[in-house]
Amino acid sequence: MKVAVDERRCEGYGFCEERAPELLQLDDEGQLLILRPDVADGEADKARAAVRSCPVAALRLED
Amino acid sequence: MPAPYGAVVIVGGSIAGVTAADELRVAGHVGPIVLIDEQRHRPYARPPLSKAILTGKEALDSAFLPALDDLDVDLCTDTTAIDLVPDEAVLILSSGERLHYDGLVVATGASPVTMADLGLNQTGLPELVLRTLDDVVLLAGAFSSAQSIIVVGGGILGMELASAARDAGLVTTVLTNEPPLLSMGGTFLSNLVSERAERAGVTVHHDPAGVELIERGGRLAASLAGREFAADIVVTAVGDRPRVEWLLSSGLADRRGVPVDSRCRVTANIVAAGDVTTWGDRRRTPHWAAAMDQARVAARALVAGDAAEPYQPRPYFWSDQFGLALKMAGECPFPGRPVLLDGEEELGRAVFQWRSPDGDPIGAMTVNTPMAIARLHRTAGTAPRPPIRTIKELR
Repeated sequence: MKVAVDERRCEGYGFCEERAPELLQLDDEGQLLILRPDVADGEADKARAAVRSCPVAALRLED
Repeated sequence: MPAPYGAVVIVGGSIAGVTAADELRVAGHVGPIVLIDEQRHRPYARPPLSKAILTGKEALDSAFLPALDDLDVDLCTDTTAIDLVPDEAVLILSSGERLHYDGLVVATGASPVTMADLGLNQTGLPELVLRTLDDVVLLAGAFSSAQSIIVVGGGILGMELASAARDAGLVTTVLTNEPPLLSMGGTFLSNLVSERAERAGVTVHHDPAGVELIERGGRLAASLAGREFAADIVVTAVGDRPRVEWLLSSGLADRRGVPVDSRCRVTANIVAAGDVTTWGDRRRTPHWAAAMDQARVAARALVAGDAAEPYQPRPYFWSDQFGLALKMAGECPFPGRPVLLDGEEELGRAVFQWRSPDGDPIGAMTVNTPMAIARLHRTAGTAPRPPIRTIKELR
């Protein structure tokens, strides 16, 4: 499973970062960094929660 | 407190309910989760409805939240809870079905207050409002066949509606009882948005006497301070109220909402989160971020009881209107003029900070400037916060 961000849609709300700080991080400019695109098995729920937390649906999971 | 194998029923499938389901699993709840929602749609996000979706910039589909398959949640749409019997741990559905729970999450949100509710629309004619996905479909349809619109209410939602209406090319009039966003956001924000709205061609009329809806030619029209206004459509955005009807007989809620303790608990096995709740000294913070924060605390409290972290309110909300992407942190409304920390005010890109007379930060706002929430909160001085005084703590 991979997590991907649509940079045109991401507005830097940061809810996903709070959900999965191991995977996603906003830099000081509000740009979302994907720390590790490959989601480990034990992190799948966190990754899904992060995707669901986005108010502008900028995140998606890919198999 | 339900055992980890017990059944948790979540009433309400918006962001608070969905977040609670998520967090229950993350916190180790392995028993069944049933999520019931009265709407026929699967869970979706509300914030984009009055923004990108109403303006047509984004497709309706984009509002849907990712499926809950991974959470092993039994999602029951088109299902309404009509009563609760806490002594028997039973939820009663409109179908007559009695649903047993070991743990219950109350997340029924809020519904719009209409002018008719306030006694200010005696015409019997229905008002357009915006709360649900069905509302936005109806409203977008009305936009496409109208030339003019009256928006009643100058709060966040009212001004977002006015902005969307201008984007759709409608002649747009906002009628309200005070300058836009004034009591909610303070003078600086009010002036900023008012100026932008005016520049976009929106006419705003405000008078403390307030608006009344009237009938003219079989259609809704409005009057404000003795002056009449007519348009093809009238939409009202004059507030919301918690969805507590189904809880009133249980005694767990009153019209103001469901009071919760510092861990969003109502009883030992009932928690509540989102727009339906009141916390602390019974304040309501009906915002997306608060709903998510509360839902996480509530879910943890169901699983872990007193070992769960208490709710730490972090006032935060955002709005998109008239070309302004606004994000605010801190306890609104903010008094006076903020300090410009970054950007250029005239160019519409800025980071503002409000300070107390002692120079301590008390609030912050970004305008068309991305900033991580944590940093915005640091700029606003909103974290960490003192403990909240709660009326009654559950033990």
